[in-house]
Amino acid sequence: MRNLLRFIVRHHFIILFILFETIAFFLLFQYNTFHKAKIVTLTNSVRGGFSRVFINIKEYVSLREENRKLIEENNKLYNLIRSSYRINSFESLNVNDSVYKRKYIYTDAKVINNSTNKQYNYITLNKGKNHGIEPDMAVLSNDGIVGIVKDVTENYSSVISLLNRNFKVNAKIKRTGYFGPLLWTGKGHSKAILTDIPHHVQILVGDTVVTSGYSTIFPEGYMIGITSDYKLKGGNYYEITVDLATDFKNLSSVQVVKNLYREEQIELEKSAESD
Amino acid sequence: MIKVLPRNIVRFIVLILAQILIFNNIQFSGYINPYIYVLFILLVPFETPKWMLLVSALLLGLTIDIFSDTLGMHSIATVFMAFIRPYVLNIISPRDGYESGTFPRVSYYGLAWFTRYASILILAHHFVLFYIEIFRFGNFFSTFFRVIFSTIFSLGFIILSQFFVYRH
Repeated sequence: MRNLLRFIVRHHFIILFILFETIAFFLLFQYNTFHKAKIVTLTNSVRGGFSRVFINIKEYVSLREENRKLIEENNKLYNLIRSSYRINSFESLNVNDSVYKRKYIYTDAKVINNSTNKQYNYITLNKGKNHGIEPDMAVLSNDGIVGIVKDVTENYSSVISLLNRNFKVNAKIKRTGYFGPLLWTGKGHSKAILTDIPHHVQILVGDTVVTSGYSTIFPEGYMIGITSDYKLKGGNYYEITVDLATDFKNLSSVQVVKNLYREEQIELEKSAESD
Repeated sequence: MIKVLPRNIVRFIVLILAQILIFNNIQFSGYINPYIYVLFILLVPFETPKWMLLVSALLLGLTIDIFSDTLGMHSIATVFMAFIRPYVLNIISPRDGYESGTFPRVSYYGLAWFTRYASILILAHHFVLFYIEIFRFGNFFSTFFRVIFSTIFSLGFIILSQFFVYRH
């Protein structure tokens, strides 16, 4: 304490000088806006510089950790991309959902053989049993219905084309909802007829004909064609000519549809009929 | 010797009044401001305690600051000037030192000595003052010319005052 006092006494001139200058500078920065702004800017830039240096150091020091994180991230992303998956199954993905039960499974296929000029036309697809194709599955194109799977081998399937005298599908007029069987008469690759529409129904040329929901094979409401002509047959029923939406002359890519509830429905209907 | 203190007090007041009322309103070409109040520090007796010198310098600077609305600037410069005064006196002391009972004035040590003494201290004061005022070293020479010219004018007024006021 005494030493301190002695120090102060000995250097009182410099100490006093520093003290007074400090006071004066304090006043300067306190009461002169210009100087205040200047000093604030200066301190800010100094502080900014310091923190930049500090952040740089911190970033450098944590590079190892950053690298580890990046590698983990990369692994995660590599695990997500498609190329790291091998196709293990030909089965389509089944999603379990308790609210929406899945009814149809769509599988895409290529047409590898097709005819339109016979009375009983068949289409061959490049997918078969291995890919989950079974008999009595519906075949659709983007424009409209194509046919029904008849036979399958391991890798191929044969489809009864709509252009086949044996083909029959339940169709309805979208506007009115009246339904009846749709057949091919063997005349031309772009026309079919819809029968059994009652005579009191007003038919318009240009009505859309779609699959009815009464088929266990085809999903409901799928496009078949557009009415182009109609006439009464036997006084009670219309025979409606339908322009097919599907262009059978130009068919390459189709979808095969499996109805997951077909078995159940057929079983039920059979037991009801046998009673 | 007893009259020294009241005389200094009177000088203090007179110089402040002169600075505030007259010299603060003089601006040669808006560039050069003479500050003659530093004469007080110049003329303080040799034997004045150093702390007293600093205190009076602070008081002087603060008073000028208050009246010219530049709080801090003149205080900094004047305290600095008072701080270096003992060292300057040491450096430029005559061969046989300062005699007791004398004052740092033209009449005692001659015009040449006084001019050297005053110019160093005034330059120091003005240098600090103008750079504190501008508060940056950009345009260093523009400010430096202001310092030099203001110093010349202040010095001129101060030396003139020596001949007008303190005649033998």
